[in-house]
Amino acid sequence: MSKPVAPAVSEPEYNDVLKQQKKRKRAEERKRTLPLYLMMLPGLVYLIANNYLPMFGILIAFKKVNFSVGLLKSEWVGLSNFEYLFKTKDAFVMIRNTVLYNLAWIILGLVIAVFIAICMAEISSRKAAKVIQPVICFPSMVSAVILSFIVYAFLSETYGFLNTTIFKNQPVAWYHTAKYWPIILTIVHFWQNAGQSSIIYMASIGGIDKGLYESARLDGAGKWSQIWNITLPMLKPMIILMMLMSIGRIFNSDFGLFYQVPLGNGLLSSTTQTIDTYVYRALLELNNISMSSAASVFQAVIGFVLVLASNLLVSVVEPDNALF
Amino acid sequence: MAKKTKAPAIQDERAFHNMALVLMSLLAIYCVVPFLLMLSVSFSSEGSLTHGYKFWPEEFSTAAYSYLWKKRATIARAYGLTILVTVVGTAANLILTSLFAYPLSRKDFRYRNIFAFILFFTMLFNGGLTASYIVWTRLFHVKDTLWAYLLPGGLMGAMNVLMVRNYYNANIPYAIIEAARIDGANDMQIYTGIMVPLSKPVMTTVGLFAALGYWNNWTNGLYYITNPKLYTIQVYLKKLMDSIQFLKTSDLATESAMLAAQSLPTESARMAIAIIAILPILLVYPAIQGELIKGMVVGGVKG
Repeated sequence: MSKPVAPAVSEPEYNDVLKQQKKRKRAEERKRTLPLYLMMLPGLVYLIANNYLPMFGILIAFKKVNFSVGLLKSEWVGLSNFEYLFKTKDAFVMIRNTVLYNLAWIILGLVIAVFIAICMAEISSRKAAKVIQPVICFPSMVSAVILSFIVYAFLSETYGFLNTTIFKNQPVAWYHTAKYWPIILTIVHFWQNAGQSSIIYMASIGGIDKGLYESARLDGAGKWSQIWNITLPMLKPMIILMMLMSIGRIFNSDFGLFYQVPLGNGLLSSTTQTIDTYVYRALLELNNISMSSAASVFQAVIGFVLVLASNLLVSVVEPDNALF
Repeated sequence: MAKKTKAPAIQDERAFHNMALVLMSLLAIYCVVPFLLMLSVSFSSEGSLTHGYKFWPEEFSTAAYSYLWKKRATIARAYGLTILVTVVGTAANLILTSLFAYPLSRKDFRYRNIFAFILFFTMLFNGGLTASYIVWTRLFHVKDTLWAYLLPGGLMGAMNVLMVRNYYNANIPYAIIEAARIDGANDMQIYTGIMVPLSKPVMTTVGLFAALGYWNNWTNGLYYITNPKLYTIQVYLKKLMDSIQFLKTSDLATESAMLAAQSLPTESARMAIAIIAILPILLVYPAIQGELIKGMVVGGVKG
């Protein structure tokens, strides 16, 4: 940043010198940062291919796709794909299922996760906890395909564990009866996720000042009153944060759970169809790109709005944890 | 007075402690039991299974595993492909993630915020499955190639890049980088000589989750793979389940159903394949669970 000292230089010349200096600096910076750009190049190419090109792909939902003339030349049809989609009964069913499962599981999941976290924190000093914690997290390590094999071992209508022991006299057609699936999916979901979802609360409980419990104990507070008056209030910010973040995902569902665990069974769609399974079925089983893309874009746009809204709420309540 | 109020509290605490221990032990058992059913079925003789799946084999048999050995060509191929995809995918993921994170962490890189935003925006909005599917199949033609397992979805995630960048910022003092620059090191040398060796903990976490993701991935196979020679173990299992369903719903007298029935592994063999698909995770899990749980805490708050 050295100022030119020569007073003999006239104003325009002085500007010229400055300009040249600036230019040289820019060139230097460009040369200096070139390796940085090169390092980001593979990642940028990937983001374009995997994320940004599909974002433009949402235009497909406004076209009548005809691969024989190509996507770009396919005819624009405005919102008619969406109109058509929302006239079907499928649209109502899949949106209802997606939202209701999410709402029920957010609330139930919160209770279960906090309960497990409090119990685990209580026994954390024991050797058994070192075994129990990894064990209850293990189900989240297996894929939905493996999950479907496990569920099948219980529910298979001919040889499954349930039909050959508990329901021996009145075998139940599990894979043909839609009304059982809200309960089955809930059990499977929490079997897989309960342990893992409690970890975040366990970490928060670990961060609570032990002195608080000590003084409460000296005042004669029992365990329940300690949980009610110390643990839960201290967990409140984390609980609110997790709830708000889950609002952003209320239109999303676990495709593997809803598609593969019921074995892709169309008979069960009244209780197992979610937006994600519909998008897949319309795309690859029915070859109906218009319906698939309309549902997919609907989900993406609502999801975007919800993520923004939930983050806005987070930034009001817990500014430190907001994404932006 | 003090005694009177204290004693019930202590009793109360002990009761709660015991209750927590019992409940959590029961939960742990509940989490393990379904795996035991699978294991028991895989070690049951085919004949005894017609009485139903039991938690203890009615008649012990290793026929399912001998069958796997007989069919080793198919299964080893699927297994080998899974290993290949997992190793290559994880390595590529780590390289792309850390290479992208390094410039974002450089405070003297003027446009770092623009690139951070380009990255971050992918966490807020996505084009959905239909658009991705069309891009990957019509534009990049990954259908029925191994690229289908590696590229769509999981190669580099914004969340991981930001996690690695934050680690660089928090744990590697900028003075070290500056000192290296003064000594004449270029960016690639700084990256390989300083950033990578000093960020092993976060790279371990990212790598483990990436490996788990690749090992368990079956949706890419579902969307993009139709050639049985390219099935990974998860896709192979998924297709097995499909053929069981196909047999259930079709007339066994038809030729295609009969062919499918003949080539289908027995009930116990199918469970045995599922067991060997979880086996590697089970074997490394005790060693890596600490890292995974740490990663879940970090990823849970912002993800």
